Amino acid sequence: MVKKHSVLLKEEKCVGCTNCVKNCPTKAIRVHQGKAMIKGELCIDCAECIRTCAYHAKYTETAGLEDLAAYPYPVALVPPSFYGQFEQTDPDRVVAALYQLGFKGVYDVARAAEAVSLQTIEFLNEHEGMYISSSCPGVVRLIKIIYPELLADLIPFKSPVELMAERVRQELEQQGVPPGDMGLFFFTPCPAKLTTITNPLGMERSYLDQAIAVEKVYPAIIKQLNQEQLTGVAGDGPVPFLGISWGQSGGETTILKRKKTNGILSVSGIHNVKRVLDEIDRNNIKGIKYLELSACSQGCVGGILNVLNPFQAKYNLQRLSSGDQQLVERNTGEYNFRLSRKFKAGDVGKLADDFDLALEKLAQLEEEIKVLPGLDCAACGAPDCETLAEDIVSGRAQRTDCIFVLREQVGKLADRMSELAHALPPVMKKKKGD
Amino acid sequence: MKEKYILEKRIEKGDFNKGGEASSKLKDLLRKLGVDSAVIRKTAIVTYELEMNIIIHSEGGWIRAAISREGIQIFAADDGPGIADLEKAFQPGYSTASDQVREMGFGAGLGLVNIKNYSDELKVDTKTGVGTKIRAIIHLV
Ligand SMILES: Nc1ncnc2c1ncn2[C@@H]1O[C@H](COP(=O)(O)OP(=O)(O)OP(=O)(O)O)[C@@H](O)[C@H]1O
Ligand code: SF4
Ligand SMILES: [Mg+2]
Repeated sequence: MVKKHSVLLKEEKCVGCTNCVKNCPTKAIRVHQGKAMIKGELCIDCAECIRTCAYHAKYTETAGLEDLAAYPYPVALVPPSFYGQFEQTDPDRVVAALYQLGFKGVYDVARAAEAVSLQTIEFLNEHEGMYISSSCPGVVRLIKIIYPELLADLIPFKSPVELMAERVRQELEQQGVPPGDMGLFFFTPCPAKLTTITNPLGMERSYLDQAIAVEKVYPAIIKQLNQEQLTGVAGDGPVPFLGISWGQSGGETTILKRKKTNGILSVSGIHNVKRVLDEIDRNNIKGIKYLELSACSQGCVGGILNVLNPFQAKYNLQRLSSGDQQLVERNTGEYNFRLSRKFKAGDVGKLADDFDLALEKLAQLEEEIKVLPGLDCAACGAPDCETLAEDIVSGRAQRTDCIFVLREQVGKLADRMSELAHALPPVMKKKKGD
Repeated sequence: MKEKYILEKRIEKGDFNKGGEASSKLKDLLRKLGVDSAVIRKTAIVTYELEMNIIIHSEGGWIRAAISREGIQIFAADDGPGIADLEKAFQPGYSTASDQVREMGFGAGLGLVNIKNYSDELKVDTKTGVGTKIRAIIHLV
């Protein structure tokens, strides 16, 4: 079976606290019988729930370095944010360490990122209106599910990592490596990017084979770096420092501005992203041509699978891309930007397929909302009263799941019982003093 | 026949904090009904502009919405002061918004233009000293 999601739950650790329920941007989680449950069709793998869970009940599963053995020709694809994990070490030493670990090739996704920037500038010059960056899969999935009306505003290009992977495959084939021998490993900062391997966006299948969490390769690299005689093959040409700045929110903007493209806004953190998309929906953001959005706060350096805190990592990236760096990737012709499929809306959110039935359910929904107290306490296991009402109308929950409704009903029942208890049978006489 | 509204919301004069609530709510309701997303987008824009005009230019009023298989009707009704020159009001760039309101990003004079462009039918009834009633219809697909 193809796994649709990367964010998973360790049942034995979940205490049913509803912190994740309230913080999920798509309201995908419910607590039932003391355990959280993720509704697959709504989950965008943003990892917000992993961040909020104090009990570490949610997790993600990625490959590890041991999986290299399964491929005769394993190569590494390094995302821009990865270099932010090192305070003192420059990219070429990190690359050398990766060769030592057994990779037969190391490729910078930052190069493809530079190419995407150049292509985006061209696209923006040729098209009127406002466009949204499609490089963060968390954002693309959010738009598919909650803002389908904005799908046509997404830049219709493959993400930098897929572009790089496609190009690497071609290059390796030209070098005579049989396709069956290749193992393309990506060091992923987040579950959302991991999901795109099994569940790609805008294409039939991913060009990647495996993703390893950054935190899983990191210790091995540090060990290599500590060895004096770290020699090895350098990377494939000059370091793409500007592309590396893509690893933080605002990095794309830096490159675009250098090329005199204005009207760009960058926003990070999934809840902020929702707020800005709400404004776009109402046509209430003016003058903007391009939105750089990332689901994680601070951009990819904020991904939960990283090791360093996002602020230090962001600072480290800024150190690398300061100075008068030049773009390394000037030849966009090496890449095939076009998506093979359109981004498709998620089929979610409606109360019924039939319009009249949906209208009927909407009326019922209004009634249910009136019955509930509107406190949004989440003790019912749904994120707020309105969502519980929706679950009731669609038959997935009951009114008495609400503790206030339950209490009221118990109260009424108790009153009735006491009434009955005091209704004396006619044969009994009242006691004196009563 | 009296319309059955799926949305009925009081809009107060000068209440910028709540600007956009009616359009967000309506968008949410339409999604629950499975309405096409392009139609939702148009409806959200029209409703938002109507709502903001009540907040900015009127003494307060109501936003109401009804839906049938044919389309979505959005009604805006306010308590005055009415639009003195309708023809001018529909010209792009015409606005009587104060400097303070312009500082908040409104007053480009494009609201009514957008309302007209994004709706399929539009009817405006306005009387100076009395108020303004606008009905916008957006067809389903
Ligand atoms: N409900 C209303 N009551 C009174 N006057 C109105 C009303 N709606 C619009 N107007 C008048 O019509 C003018 C044009 O309205 P329109 O919505 O097109 O632009 P705006 O509100 O001034 O600016 P923008 O909508 O671009 O922020 C307004 O400046 C105002 O004078
Ligand atoms: S990963 Fe994000 S969308 Fe999925 S359940 Fe967790 S918080 Fe919700
Ligand atoms: Mg206006």
